[in-house]
Amino acid sequence: MKFGLFYEISVPRPWGPDTEKVVYDNCLEQVRLADELGFDNVWAVEHHFLEEYSHCPAPELFLTACAMITKRIRVGHGIIVCVPEFNHPIKIAERTAVLDLLSGGRLEVGTGRSATWTELGGFRANPDETKKTWDEFVHCLPKMWTQERYSYQGRSWSMPQRTIVPKPLQKPHPPMWVAVTSPGTEIDAAERGMGSLGLTFGGFAEQDEKVKRYRKIIRNCEPVGSFVNEAVSTVNFLYCHEDDAEGVKIGKRLTGTFNYLAAQLLAAREAYPTKSYPSLGLLPSLRHDAAGPGDESGAPEGIAMGNPARITRELKKWESVGVDRVNFLLNALETVPQEKVLASLRLFAKEVMPHFQSKGDAAAAAAGGR
Amino acid sequence: MPPRFGNLDLKTFANFASTIGGFKTSELVLKGARILEIHNEIDDDPADALIPRTMHPAIPAYAIINVMHAPESPVGPFSIAEVRIAGRTGVRPRGFVLRSYCGSEAARKELSSRWGFPMAPGEVSLTLRHDRVVGKVVAGGVTVLEVELVDRDAISGADIQYIASMHLARNSEDGKLVLVQVDPEYTFSKAERGKPRIVTLDAAAFGAAPHLRLMNPIMASYATADMTLPRLRYICNPELPAMQGTTKIAA
Repeated sequence: MKFGLFYEISVPRPWGPDTEKVVYDNCLEQVRLADELGFDNVWAVEHHFLEEYSHCPAPELFLTACAMITKRIRVGHGIIVCVPEFNHPIKIAERTAVLDLLSGGRLEVGTGRSATWTELGGFRANPDETKKTWDEFVHCLPKMWTQERYSYQGRSWSMPQRTIVPKPLQKPHPPMWVAVTSPGTEIDAAERGMGSLGLTFGGFAEQDEKVKRYRKIIRNCEPVGSFVNEAVSTVNFLYCHEDDAEGVKIGKRLTGTFNYLAAQLLAAREAYPTKSYPSLGLLPSLRHDAAGPGDESGAPEGIAMGNPARITRELKKWESVGVDRVNFLLNALETVPQEKVLASLRLFAKEVMPHFQSKGDAAAAAAGGR
Repeated sequence: MPPRFGNLDLKTFANFASTIGGFKTSELVLKGARILEIHNEIDDDPADALIPRTMHPAIPAYAIINVMHAPESPVGPFSIAEVRIAGRTGVRPRGFVLRSYCGSEAARKELSSRWGFPMAPGEVSLTLRHDRVVGKVVAGGVTVLEVELVDRDAISGADIQYIASMHLARNSEDGKLVLVQVDPEYTFSKAERGKPRIVTLDAAAFGAAPHLRLMNPIMASYATADMTLPRLRYICNPELPAMQGTTKIAA
């Protein structure tokens, strides 16, 4: 199992002149440490207008900064909103190629379509169309990365023949992922040979079912790219502390803050009746699952909070249902002081990661970073 | 926690509050109710003055304009129209009802005394045409609300999500102001959507001047459903955030 970081970059009010700068700097410091500790990847979302919840509209810039201060950690550009009003496909192909070059071939490409009216309405995008344009974009991107000359006449966009440059460093192209929030999207991922980038916490039973379905379908997929990226990733919170009760207490504060923030957003379905968004998407799942029943400690099932033993136990369960990677949210609204976040990362790397790594990988983690 | 809370002037809005006769009402099913609902974004910052401190504003702020006709009820057929401001009580989407207009005195009495609807008298109509659905309120001889769903298009009832309402009411038992949560259930038999058009919205008639400023239109829906006005389950202290001031009164 591989571990990564997952950034929404939430910024608490009141917003002073340097509040956002401080939050971004904290995130970069965490990424630098995570790289040293042997974390495998760092993901950053693309969100717009989601005040406090996510001030991360240009993840490619944040990830470029991450790449410049790290050596090994892979950078996950996600979720690129594959809706023409947000991103032109040519620009996606170009900027991802540049990021892959600058990061030395460390790019992962996550794709999605946005789930809030706050964003869709802000760009005047039609919620009915987003699934269709996402599908069109993900079929185009690999060809734009790999073909010297490219032209396209499609449903939502077109271009005459041009040479799209530069090309990604990774050959044939970076791995592709789909953000999975709504039920059934893991099938979309599997049918297209893409990684399943889970953004809901979900229970073990639900995840077990999803992973089995995904693995079965991807065996007979028609990959959109030049290769099949069979991988299942989930998102989780992380707060690791020597004292279990303290770890659970702060972890619950983190999850509670994040979920409370998420609930303030306007889900596409709440504002705009459409079959394109059959569920409320990410937000209710986050709330429900991260506040779901746990044991007597009060720690919700499956959430990586508490002491290293508890976290190892919970992550082993995820591993047992076929999850390949877990990406962690480390903070929300800076609820957890930066020094505690860094200490949590170090302790996790030292005490938890070795239980999931091959011998070769364990060296960096055991060193505990600087 | 998000520090943005509503800052409704309770003293002013207390004038519109109905008197509710306790919180132990039973369900009421309104069969074949026809419901027009318009969603329209509103100016964010002034809209904070249109929801009580119990609630957080939605991001972005939006108004819900709802016109409903009940062809049958224990007090006879009636129509009701209201403007709500969407927000959150804690983590739950809720709409604070500014004012509800209704032409039937019996219905006004029933809905205010049992569910705390902030009632005002007015003639409410809901008219179907081939190309549009029109909802209208005339109060004191003046049109205070006229809204339309244009370009009707069939959808599934499962695609519609109505959010629960919050009514500012005065409890007859102790005279205190209270926010009453009313979360009807719906069994849809027909649903449509279309473009929203607001012809007239007299903000003052809904107690919302000068804070209610219409911005970006979102969507209109029209549905036929059996609507169940529920037993009351939660009440809130209008002066406290929902996380601190909510009382569960029934399962």
